[in-house]
Amino acid sequence: MTNRTSLAALYAAAIVLAGMMPASSHEIVGNRMFPATLAIDDPGVADELALPTISLTKSGDTPSARQLDVSAEYSKRITEDFAIAFAPTWSRISAPGGPAGNGAAGFQNLETTFKYRAYANPEHEFVVSTGLSIEWGGSGAQDVGADRFTTYTPTLYFGKGFGDLPASMNWARPFAITGQVGYAIPGSTSTTTVDPDTGDADTEFHPRVLVWGASLQYSLPYLKSAVADIGLPEFVNHLIPIVEASMQTPVSNTLTSGTVTTGTINPGVLWVGQSMQVGIEAVIPVNRQSGTSVGVIGQMHFFLDDIFPHSIGRPIFTSGIAAANRGP
Amino acid sequence: MRTAIIAIAILTSIACAPGAQAHAQLDHASPAVGSAVKSSPKDVTLSFTEAVEPKFSSIEVIDAQGAAMNRGSARAVSGNTAQLRVEVKPLKAGTYTVKWRVLSVDTHRTQGSFSFSVGP
Repeated sequence: MTNRTSLAALYAAAIVLAGMMPASSHEIVGNRMFPATLAIDDPGVADELALPTISLTKSGDTPSARQLDVSAEYSKRITEDFAIAFAPTWSRISAPGGPAGNGAAGFQNLETTFKYRAYANPEHEFVVSTGLSIEWGGSGAQDVGADRFTTYTPTLYFGKGFGDLPASMNWARPFAITGQVGYAIPGSTSTTTVDPDTGDADTEFHPRVLVWGASLQYSLPYLKSAVADIGLPEFVNHLIPIVEASMQTPVSNTLTSGTVTTGTINPGVLWVGQSMQVGIEAVIPVNRQSGTSVGVIGQMHFFLDDIFPHSIGRPIFTSGIAAANRGP
Repeated sequence: MRTAIIAIAILTSIACAPGAQAHAQLDHASPAVGSAVKSSPKDVTLSFTEAVEPKFSSIEVIDAQGAAMNRGSARAVSGNTAQLRVEVKPLKAGTYTVKWRVLSVDTHRTQGSFSFSVGP
């Protein structure tokens, strides 16, 4: 594998991984509780801890390599509507991956996300948030694909529950969608490496990438509490079947990266309790560049605002009573 | 790694502890959510997942025209801090909407609504 190919493979892996960074936050808007999603980030602004998120995938490199990611995310509200999240990820790439083909292990770049809840409409179960994610260049190990440059990703998040559908469509009211659209801007336009043997220089261009995704979820807790209590077993009443899509499309400065969209489709299920949730999803690559086999991702997620409502689970600056819903 | 496992174990045990506080969500209701009852109930009782503060909570029962059908305000149910009850006027055949807003004892506000119908 040439330097250039190796860099391209690592960059592609980094792009795919970026879409799988620990996603968290949960949000309550009116009747609707938007759970924390695993592959994309949801519009929630909350005090919470996703620990751990574990994913096992097989990369789209040639030859393909198995990759284990173990990550965490801690989100802290500064005010009711503004939070900062920190997300470290540790990766282990099995042979024949890694720069020398022997595999590699280490931390990915630390990611920090600033998120602000811009609008919430409890009646229509609609919420919009804006955010800025910063992947701090050089904070991770290059062997596992961590970039030496910082990447900034302004992102728009939204969530919409369908509880406001007419009674004739009661069956559809537990459905909800969430989504995100971000634009990843690398702090460096290119990296040039020189082969020590031949003296040849290779330049790798760092594309700007559209980071987008969505989730479709069917909330059995919502069915029970807002539509029809049909006497399902208690365990089932806590389940939310979900399908997530997490995609990345290079859109500019794509000379060496190409413009192929990579990503995964993740069908799975969440179990949501009063102060924590667990989830598991299959990770299905959308094309060869995104991976070579179906992977898996699982997460434990703690709602710190519910576990520690009077201490670390409340905003640093608060008006007194936690406003879980911004009523009209 | 051991520290992380211990931290997860501690958090899990706290999160699953019976005394853990959280947002009060509707657990079940009488009449049941989405149900059809043959005759008018005397009251509507809501059971939440957490204890609530009756003084800062409300239940409203409205008919299809938007008229309030509850008598007075929501009251605590003796011996159960997670239940609220509101008396209702005699309800004719039709569909009624229950709107609730509660303040849990840990000061989280939540709200929701559901419908039930009366009639043969």
